[in-house]
Amino acid sequence: MLSLIVFLPIIAGLIILAVPSSQKQIIRIVSLLAALAQGVLAVLIWRAYDPSLPGITAAPGGSPLGSFQFVEKVPWIGLKLGAMGSLNIEYFLGVDGISVTMIILTALISAIGVLSSWTIQKQVKGYFILYNLLASAMMGCFVALDFFLFYVFWELMLLPMYFLIGIWGGPNREYAAIKFFLYTLFGSVFMLLVMIGLYFSVIDPVTGNHTFSLVAMANQANYLQDAILGPHNVMWRYIAFAVLFVGFAIKVPMFPFHTWLPDAHVEAPTPISVILAGVLLKLGTYGMMRINFPLFPEVFHASMYVIGIFGAINIIYGAFCALAQQDLKKMVAYSSISHMGYVLLGLAAGNSEGMIGALYQMFNHGTITAMLFLLVGVIYDRAHTRQIDKFGGLASYMPVYAAIVTVAWFASLGLPGLSGFISEALVFVGAFSSITTRYIAMVSVLGIVFGAAYLLWSLQRMFLGKRKPDAAYDLEVGADGHEHIHFHDWKGKIDLDGRELTMLVPLVVITIFLGIYPMPVLGMITSSVNKLVEVLTPLAIR
Amino acid sequence: MHSLIQLSIVVLLLPLLSFVILIFFNRRLPRRGDFVGVGILGTAFALSAYIFWTVIVQTYDPAFRVAWDFTWIDLGQVPGIGPLQIKMGIVIDNLTAIMLAMVTLISLLVHLYSTGYMAGDKNYGRYYAFLGIFTFSMLGIVLSDNLFSIYIFWELVGLSSYLLIGFFFEKDSAADAQKKAFLANRVGDIGMWLGILILYSQFHTFSFTEIYANLAAGKFAMSNAWLTAAGLLLFMGCVGKSAQFPLHIWLPDAMEGPTPVSALIHAATMVAAGVYFVARIFVVLTPDALHVIAFIGAFTAFMAATIAITQNDIKRVLAYSTVSQLGYMVLGLGVGAYSAALFHLVTHAFFKACLFLGSGAIIHAMHHEQDMRWMGGLRKHMPWTFATFTLATLALAGLPLTSGFMSKDAILAGAIGFATAEGGGVYYLIPVLGFFSAMLTAFYMGRQIWLVFFGESRTHLKPADDHHSAHHAHSTHDTHNDDHHAAHEVHEVSWNMRAPLVILAALSVFFVYSPNPLDGAQGWFMKMIQTPPTVVGSYQSAPSSEKLAVGSQQSATEGENSALSTQHSALSEQHSAPEAEHSALSTQHSALKESTQHSALTNERQAEIAHASHAAHFPAIYISSIMVILGITLAGIVYVFRIIDPDKTAEAIRPLYLFSLNKWYWDEIYDATFIRGSMLISKMLSWFDTNIIDGIVNGVALIVKKVAFANNSFDKYVVDGLVNFTAFSVNTTGAVLRKLQTGKVQTYVVMLLAVVFGYFVFYFTRLIY
Repeated sequence: MLSLIVFLPIIAGLIILAVPSSQKQIIRIVSLLAALAQGVLAVLIWRAYDPSLPGITAAPGGSPLGSFQFVEKVPWIGLKLGAMGSLNIEYFLGVDGISVTMIILTALISAIGVLSSWTIQKQVKGYFILYNLLASAMMGCFVALDFFLFYVFWELMLLPMYFLIGIWGGPNREYAAIKFFLYTLFGSVFMLLVMIGLYFSVIDPVTGNHTFSLVAMANQANYLQDAILGPHNVMWRYIAFAVLFVGFAIKVPMFPFHTWLPDAHVEAPTPISVILAGVLLKLGTYGMMRINFPLFPEVFHASMYVIGIFGAINIIYGAFCALAQQDLKKMVAYSSISHMGYVLLGLAAGNSEGMIGALYQMFNHGTITAMLFLLVGVIYDRAHTRQIDKFGGLASYMPVYAAIVTVAWFASLGLPGLSGFISEALVFVGAFSSITTRYIAMVSVLGIVFGAAYLLWSLQRMFLGKRKPDAAYDLEVGADGHEHIHFHDWKGKIDLDGRELTMLVPLVVITIFLGIYPMPVLGMITSSVNKLVEVLTPLAIR
Repeated sequence: MHSLIQLSIVVLLLPLLSFVILIFFNRRLPRRGDFVGVGILGTAFALSAYIFWTVIVQTYDPAFRVAWDFTWIDLGQVPGIGPLQIKMGIVIDNLTAIMLAMVTLISLLVHLYSTGYMAGDKNYGRYYAFLGIFTFSMLGIVLSDNLFSIYIFWELVGLSSYLLIGFFFEKDSAADAQKKAFLANRVGDIGMWLGILILYSQFHTFSFTEIYANLAAGKFAMSNAWLTAAGLLLFMGCVGKSAQFPLHIWLPDAMEGPTPVSALIHAATMVAAGVYFVARIFVVLTPDALHVIAFIGAFTAFMAATIAITQNDIKRVLAYSTVSQLGYMVLGLGVGAYSAALFHLVTHAFFKACLFLGSGAIIHAMHHEQDMRWMGGLRKHMPWTFATFTLATLALAGLPLTSGFMSKDAILAGAIGFATAEGGGVYYLIPVLGFFSAMLTAFYMGRQIWLVFFGESRTHLKPADDHHSAHHAHSTHDTHNDDHHAAHEVHEVSWNMRAPLVILAALSVFFVYSPNPLDGAQGWFMKMIQTPPTVVGSYQSAPSSEKLAVGSQQSATEGENSALSTQHSALSEQHSAPEAEHSALSTQHSALKESTQHSALTNERQAEIAHASHAAHFPAIYISSIMVILGITLAGIVYVFRIIDPDKTAEAIRPLYLFSLNKWYWDEIYDATFIRGSMLISKMLSWFDTNIIDGIVNGVALIVKKVAFANNSFDKYVVDGLVNFTAFSVNTTGAVLRKLQTGKVQTYVVMLLAVVFGYFVFYFTRLIY
């Protein structure tokens, strides 16, 4: 099941390889079918998932696989290294509450991304091969339970992303692509070192060999006392934690490692922005929850305050930067930074409310930001500009577009009744309840006001009032005596067309539904997060 | 589930249904579906009226309460806490029943009125949809049984207010106003949210009853300052929503919305939600918090009244009047006149809705002229509007026989009682500001009545350029013919706009609320809504032994605490009890009993205020009546008899006049500080981001690149040079050696001989030395 959902897109990519590059429509349809099949599998996993099993780590005395579900575990690479023992890498996949929502999110965003890629005209074949490779790698990251396998998928994501931005991007695409690539690579090199260190510090309780299994690593009893990352080597454990944290924080992206994000978004084509903001950023915080924190719980506990401060900086700094942007897409990119700050703050709280809120925020940010980038793409396709001041009064002429923008914008600013509110609220509830992060939470609420400020201001400048004198569109009085909008060299429908509605309406429905009734998602994650919190809480406090 | 709960759920969901139907299908329905909105609201009102009848008329019990809740979010077995759930629920008590009936009635009347006022607007259907979601959210606030759901609906009314203020979104002023309203409210909301978080972090529940029970049991583990802070932060929500100083600036601008919306949202219901919320959390407010609240209310009442006297826009006068009256309500809660404040909330809702709808009728009839300077003489053309508007004005000014008189007098009596009980001094500022504002209220409302309805029409006096701007505003507005010179064409509005005026005016008369026009306390309202005993009594810092003793005595007579207003005589006896006995009593109490004892202490504070308020009832009546008559007379002197020329007076006190006309310059102050400040910070941070953070990143990249180039050179010239040099040396050596390898035997013999010779030379040289 999990292998299938991971490798479906790659299979599609292989099929596309055999299709002649002139058959653009077939290529697109093959990709869409793969994405839809992935979606069906995600729904099957969702239905079959047992929310009462916590996962995270193996209970002492219980199954060495822990209570993970849909587990696939086979030896993958085994090398005899003589005196150093043997290198055992496993193909180990599994799902718990932390990853199951991310699988659903990835499948959803991938499918919407394919639809959004329909307008790509340049080298369609190459584009979709890379796109499918990316989709597989992302899915792989979320289900891998072997650190080495995780690392392979993690690195595998970089390559297609680099080319997708570097070839299909905007005018400054090469700069953005190389910045993204190097930044992420910088983080993952350190991750590799820590991974090797961990390998030599952890023993699989069943076989007695060293292991890359994250399930074994998440149990402190499996660490060799005197190993480099064993419990006695406090300094090295702190260093390893910090290095891993930076690696993941780059992906989040956390201040001050965030500047690749606005550049990448501004240059990337719409579907890639959607994937980037919708799924890729979550890998950073997912990595923290899956690897960084449970492997070094005592270091996490000592670092909560610092992580919380970075979360608060992200929230407020991101909001202020968003307020200053003239380019709509850049504004949305900074809003992503601000909203991922809530995730960091929730994680830093270290309690169930905060962490559940953080995980739920990851899911909601995925759907809401995907919507925001799609909507930016809609207007960019038509007007060939994203300058906020080049519009005005659009609500009169594109009512459906304006309505969906309003829903998306309000979802982003955390309006109750829409999903983003619940996750932000839980994050604040958690952060305030934790004595460590209480004052940080009190400062972070400013993000609620400034978030509303930049969103409402951009809404007003683009959609309300009247057409600006230097607007990127013209008004023509039609035969019926009403004014109609006209974009230069745009032949399509002025308001949203069928394909655009197909992408946006499901996201709107999800946002509203999960804002009113969050349990379908929350119900799956609570037991895992509660378990995670237990693992993270030092024995002395527990 | 109690049948009333079931009914209330239906009432709550009906307007939401109206919203869903109208937002999707209004264009496919005849008349854009306005009948759907009116019909659904009619049903909702009928059900609410039934609830009201059952609760207030049939049951008639001050302690009536039914509640129901369900688990909304289940967080499972949370480490350190155990099972944790977030619940949603509904509570119906007397206050809820009254509010339900009031909100649905005014909403229904506004729905009906709008069929006339908004007819022909191009977004007519959407307007009704927005009214639906507003009513839904407002009812949600009223029915909530916990802080979390009240916060949710709180933000949702903010959204509906945003949508309706900006209904004419093509006007920049409307788009500005809607954004301002939402942001000002959000500032208040983050305070409210922090207050909720303080209480949640202690008890892990949002439910009112559970929080209050835990507080009363003394389980609040943080310091008392945090408790006061929690109360004040929660109050910040009210400051935003009820437009109290310093967040009052959004409400006057909100008048950009359609006038029926101003009546419903920005006068009668939503802005009163802040007061309602403070009433719901009244029991957690510490005396310190209550003092701050009282001062803010008094200051707001006074400030807004001083602004209202110089405004020329008919709706702006009413808007500032609303701010001022909300200040009274907040003042009332602050001084502990709980039932009086809520009484004023309800009476104000009716007469202020009547005033706004009346002003809407005038604006409608005057073809969207809003400036009172160009009105005049309308009483002859619009007799119904004139009569109802005047009645509501008298209620607002607080003349005897009106509802407003009773409620305002009760608040002012409470203020005097509070000042007396707190020991006078600076606390007398609160009643003084209250009475002075009452005079100003009478003055500006008198001015409005004279300017609008009396004298001759002044339409022709309007300067030409003003015409243009009005015309401009109008052309974006709706589809009426735009002859605004035609005062003689002004005529009474149609029945669907007149009926709401009549109903609302009828609800502004005293006998609806009390048989005695001079005393609201004898009416059903103040009997049904009684001050709840505080739950934070045990958190007081070191009370004086005297007060403690009185409290301990009172704890013996606990049963009497519930009906505070009628028990004053019994309490005053306790006051006179000998002091020596008290100290002996107080030391004997065990630690466990101390909490109930302290709780009784603040009850004692409440009782003391109630007692003093009762004593202040008649003085308050006299003073406020004198003030009101003074105000109306002054307005008459200035605007009817023209004994004092208003323009010359304004000129004489020009700085003061400008100060009032420009609304104390709050907008300018905020613009110069918060708004420009935020924009400056955002520009600076953005610059910092692009040039410093990204500069460092690019700088590092550049350094790496330079190092790489240097490395490349090193590689090319040194490393590769070494390699090449080695190759070169080998090559050269090879070339040299190659020459030796000629293949001729003679050469080899010569070389052999040379070597042998050389060896001998070497050997013999060593022998010699």
